[in-house]
Amino acid sequence: MALIEGQDWNALLQRVGSHQDKDAFSALFAHFAPLLKGFLMKGSNLEPEQAEELVQETMIKVWRKAPSYSPAQAAASTWMYTIARNTRIDWLRKHAKISQQTDELVAEELFDENEESSPFTSLIQTRNSKNIKDHLGELPQEQLQVLTLMYFQGKSGQEVADELSIPLGTVKSRVRLALQKLKLKLSPNGEGTEAYAQ
Amino acid sequence: MIRHHPNTDLLTDYTVGSLSLAPTISVTTHLKFCDQCRDSVHSLKQLGGALLSDAEPETVSGDLLSQTLAKLDVESVTQSSAVDALADAQSTKCDDELKGIPNYLNKFLPRNGLSWRKLSSSVTVAPISVGETQYELALHKICAGGKTPVHDHHGVEYTVVLKGSFSDEDGMYHEGDFVVREPGDVHRPFATQHEDCICLSVLEAPIKLKGLGRVLNPFMKFQPS
Repeated sequence: MALIEGQDWNALLQRVGSHQDKDAFSALFAHFAPLLKGFLMKGSNLEPEQAEELVQETMIKVWRKAPSYSPAQAAASTWMYTIARNTRIDWLRKHAKISQQTDELVAEELFDENEESSPFTSLIQTRNSKNIKDHLGELPQEQLQVLTLMYFQGKSGQEVADELSIPLGTVKSRVRLALQKLKLKLSPNGEGTEAYAQ
Repeated sequence: MIRHHPNTDLLTDYTVGSLSLAPTISVTTHLKFCDQCRDSVHSLKQLGGALLSDAEPETVSGDLLSQTLAKLDVESVTQSSAVDALADAQSTKCDDELKGIPNYLNKFLPRNGLSWRKLSSSVTVAPISVGETQYELALHKICAGGKTPVHDHHGVEYTVVLKGSFSDEDGMYHEGDFVVREPGDVHRPFATQHEDCICLSVLEAPIKLKGLGRVLNPFMKFQPS
């Protein structure tokens, strides 16, 4: 069921890109806007109006970037997550006025995600999405909490440690245990392989 | 063959967007060389997508869709091509010796060209300003066979080898390798004999705030009022 839905979102997103189809966009909006708002507001100190401003900016970028969307490279949800993350980063930087100098540097340029995808990559993607779906519900609360703080609020491991008053090492091991449990395909390169040896 | 990579902790911080500008640029630069880490980041983004799909929905205002639709009409589609054009224009100004480094970096290089400054007889440095003070971003060039002065680190340092290779007491690093040096590490890198080595380096500014042994993530300093 969820898989069929997922494919629907991919197809709708492609339709937005190829036909500037506003009905398809509205259907995506109806599904993703409330999720995005929930995602952005969970545990954060954003006001509802600010969250909606971000939702709107995200969806406008979705419209603008949809022509470059390819389901072979990413599932709709992955793609939307990336755009939402970039939108939040830019929004926070703009409001924090960290620097006038780099106002023109946007997150999209920093991450530069016009990646080519290989057949190998799409195989990994399919396996990842099944594994995540099968195991996300099994994560212990403490692991899910850490992931939620990082992904939903864009917090670093150190910031999560500070917020929960636990050592950074504990945060790291919870993340790694969660990633293992989800059987997420991660390159073991450059690891101090302690987490992978188990 | 790339042997030195950012670890999963760093890739996770990168993926969720909690790294600040210069470290983000260094990781993206490594990804331009490294398919495996690019796949890892994609896996981590898939988790983001799954968490988004599983988020508890919050009802949005009834007119948000119509407001958004109204804004689409005035959107132009030329923005992304403007960015590409800018990158192209800048790449033509690059020094010859920078040929072959990822195009991605061009947009961060100073428009009037890099200003190389001598650090020692064999090392030159060209700072890159992305407007943040927590980290110093720079290109370092070590002449073929040249040695850098012995130095230690007050803050963390990320280095991505862009051209050539260098060695230190711990190993040898080639194009695309991502090298992390922690505070307190002492090392003396030297370039290989036959060619210059150019690296992108990100150095945490040696500023320690009292009682706060780290640099705050600038994105998180903002508290909406």
